[in-house]
Amino acid sequence: MALNDQSQLLPYAQRSDFKVARANELTGPDRRLYRFLEIVPGVAAWGTLIGIVLASMYAPFLAAYFIIAFSIYWVLKTIFLSVHVRYNWKRLKHHMALDWQQLIARFEYDHLYHLVIFPFYQEPREVLEGALKGLIAAHYDPKKLIVVLAAEARAGVEAEQLARAMEQQYAYHFGHFLVTVHPDTIAGDIAGKGSNTHYALHQVREKIIDAQQIPYKNILTSIFDVDTVIYADYFNCLVWHFMTAENPYKSAFQPVPLFTNNLWDAPALSRVMAMSSTFWQMIMQERPDKAATFSSHSVSFQALYEIGYGQPNVVSEDSRIFWNLLIANNGDFSVVSLSYPIAMDATTAPTMWGTIKNIYKQHRRWTYGVENWCYLMYHFTKNKAIPLRKRISIAALQGEGYWSLVTNPIMLFILGWAPIFLGTREFHQTVLSYELPIMVRNLLIVAMVGLVVSSIISLSLTPPRPAHHSRFRYVVMALQWIMVPLTMIFFSAIPGLDAQTRLMFGKYMGFWVTPKREK
Amino acid sequence: MLEKPQIESLSTAHRKRLFLLLAAVFLISFPVMVFYTAGYRLDLGNEEQTIVTTGGIYITTDTLDVEVYLDDEQVERPRLFRSAYYIQNIAAGQHRVVVQRPDLATWVKELPVDSHMVIEAAAFTMPAISHVRPIPQYVTATGTAVYLGVADKKEVLREATTTLPMQTTTSKKTTGYVLNEEYDFVKSLFGSTSTTSRSVFKTISDEERFRFSTTTATGTQEIIMEPKVARGNIELEVRQQELYAVWKGATQSIPYYFCISHTDATSTALRYGQHVADAIEQFSQSTTTPLIAVGSRLCRPEIKLDRLRKDVYFYDFFPNSSDLVLLQLSDGLYVTEIDDRAWQNVQQIYEGTDFQLVIENNVIYVQDGPYYFEVITRLETN
Repeated sequence: MALNDQSQLLPYAQRSDFKVARANELTGPDRRLYRFLEIVPGVAAWGTLIGIVLASMYAPFLAAYFIIAFSIYWVLKTIFLSVHVRYNWKRLKHHMALDWQQLIARFEYDHLYHLVIFPFYQEPREVLEGALKGLIAAHYDPKKLIVVLAAEARAGVEAEQLARAMEQQYAYHFGHFLVTVHPDTIAGDIAGKGSNTHYALHQVREKIIDAQQIPYKNILTSIFDVDTVIYADYFNCLVWHFMTAENPYKSAFQPVPLFTNNLWDAPALSRVMAMSSTFWQMIMQERPDKAATFSSHSVSFQALYEIGYGQPNVVSEDSRIFWNLLIANNGDFSVVSLSYPIAMDATTAPTMWGTIKNIYKQHRRWTYGVENWCYLMYHFTKNKAIPLRKRISIAALQGEGYWSLVTNPIMLFILGWAPIFLGTREFHQTVLSYELPIMVRNLLIVAMVGLVVSSIISLSLTPPRPAHHSRFRYVVMALQWIMVPLTMIFFSAIPGLDAQTRLMFGKYMGFWVTPKREK
Repeated sequence: MLEKPQIESLSTAHRKRLFLLLAAVFLISFPVMVFYTAGYRLDLGNEEQTIVTTGGIYITTDTLDVEVYLDDEQVERPRLFRSAYYIQNIAAGQHRVVVQRPDLATWVKELPVDSHMVIEAAAFTMPAISHVRPIPQYVTATGTAVYLGVADKKEVLREATTTLPMQTTTSKKTTGYVLNEEYDFVKSLFGSTSTTSRSVFKTISDEERFRFSTTTATGTQEIIMEPKVARGNIELEVRQQELYAVWKGATQSIPYYFCISHTDATSTALRYGQHVADAIEQFSQSTTTPLIAVGSRLCRPEIKLDRLRKDVYFYDFFPNSSDLVLLQLSDGLYVTEIDDRAWQNVQQIYEGTDFQLVIENNVIYVQDGPYYFEVITRLETN
């Protein structure tokens, strides 16, 4: 196995710091620069929050005007994003209704193979079976599929045994089937999906792709979370987009994750969080120029091969792989929106408290994606071949994203009232002091109209009601969106602040596996 | 044959147009909202000036279901269960606020409103007719008050009224009735401490002390107390035959009603009343108790309380309040506000000339002749 062979890599990907994950992997000025970048997001977030508190105390008029400006910005942002969601919803529905087999009939695509990798840890049999049955049920020749069940050695022999049992039961459906077991002894790996996938990609190339002499350019790699159940036309839709993409080997293909596998059995909190994540991805589908890959996605094997299959040493591996591709290709890599769904699990646990903990931890892991901003900024200072405008645009957009994720909900729902409670006596006697909460409240009510849109769209994406659930649950599903102000604070802002604070202090996080249903 | 989906992704041009439109909305709406929240209003009916500046009044009430009027126009009630009224869009100048309910005393205040500023006031509304809860020696098995050897309720209640059931009987037989434990408790309160019918001013001018007298089983005893009563940072003091509320706390926390906007004497008299202008003048020349400057406002260190030109027998803060004072005057028990802007509202809560009172656990008990009552200061909604 040529884990350290670098000859196939793109020139920039051959740098020793290409796959840097944290400051302590570097030395000298680079280390200081990277450490500085790790500190910036946390300082920006805490600085904003503390700044508003201090401004409310010592410059309440200024703070009040800022809060008014911010509230208007929030309403307009809600309108802007709602337009994207609504538009993508229309497109998603259209794509779901299309006959993609007919659409790709005009192409010659027999040469294409789909490599599907399911990294897993201790997920139960039903989850793995669901994923494999999804592939079998797809409207696509299963013999063109190379399926990899990537088990973790640290999950014990049971995980490998389960993978072998799946192989025995389902392998004959597919063109190729491989079980890999990611050892827990590889130096530099951090336990998690990224390192498992990285190992599996090496293995499948060696054992199947090279052995069968399949050209790398003929393989589309789909890296799926193990709870991913594809919709029937996923591969057809993927092929159509691959064949029509401006530069298919420089593109990552992003479906819309619908967390609907267990939606009817999940509590309202899980449903809101799951649908909120879906909506965010729907928004990004309509502005792929600002997007990175998220969770399950597809990309050409050739592209992955040229960067050495991404990084085995990061938490947010799903997005990092895209940034690796973008940096290594000197900025010439983009996301192509499929606007086609894949079904996944909403985060749950047997108890409400367990669900809350799991959602918090999952979102903390997702928001730890801020580590990618440090990575981007670091390489933007190194790779001058990426157009400056693109570097500035991506850095600003990603930076604003992580900053607003953490600060905006807190500013909006808590600190919007700070000048009233903390302001000077002079401020309290002004009309401004009395009008401010009324104005902020009214603007938030206007912004809440976006929730009505969310409620309608989420109902339309909900799978059919199982017989054991009453129709009343539809009402609950419509009303559950009133929880959004709270979920934004407790499951976006606070875990985000938690993640950024850890990074700021160099308390690096590891990969936390989101439990996928109970065994 | 279909070659591609009919719905294209949102184009960059479309997104850009939407972005520019919303950016324009932001640029227009931000200054509009800033000016609005600062008190500027568009008045298209005003030919001289279409943009006018306004102020506001913030009134808190101690009762939920009251009607509030501003210059004879009823103010819309705030949302459910809220007892504060923020009245917006008021032109600068003097404005009269009335808080009323048919069964409550009316609270009236004339307040000066300045552009961009909000003036505060706290209204209080005591029962229009004295309400009491009788505390008899005996009650029926179901707890109804019973007065033995009494022909008529009027004999017990005199000028007060009660919403609670009560019985009177000319018989003095106690058979069928039970002793009321509360009666013994209240009686014991009056046995240890109570007010006197002697003037506070006379007592203090004699000995610079405040004396209570009370009747006990062993005869009349006098209780001597300091003539100052404090709650929070406000002290009630008797000085030169007058009662004062004196601020003792930090400058920055002085209550709004001690202060006025910084203007000349004539303007102060017009805005807050001549008595306030006189007080400001007096303190401005004082070296011992000077005016306190808080930002753009001038604050008096003390306010004289209106005793309706009557003798004061007892004074204390009204239960659970540092803005209201309880006064026992020669003809009854009153509640007055310290806020003297325009005037001090004074409301009678018990009528009588020869009664004693005790405040225990924020409850006002009265002994009027042989009868004991709790004075009711809050009435349930009609």
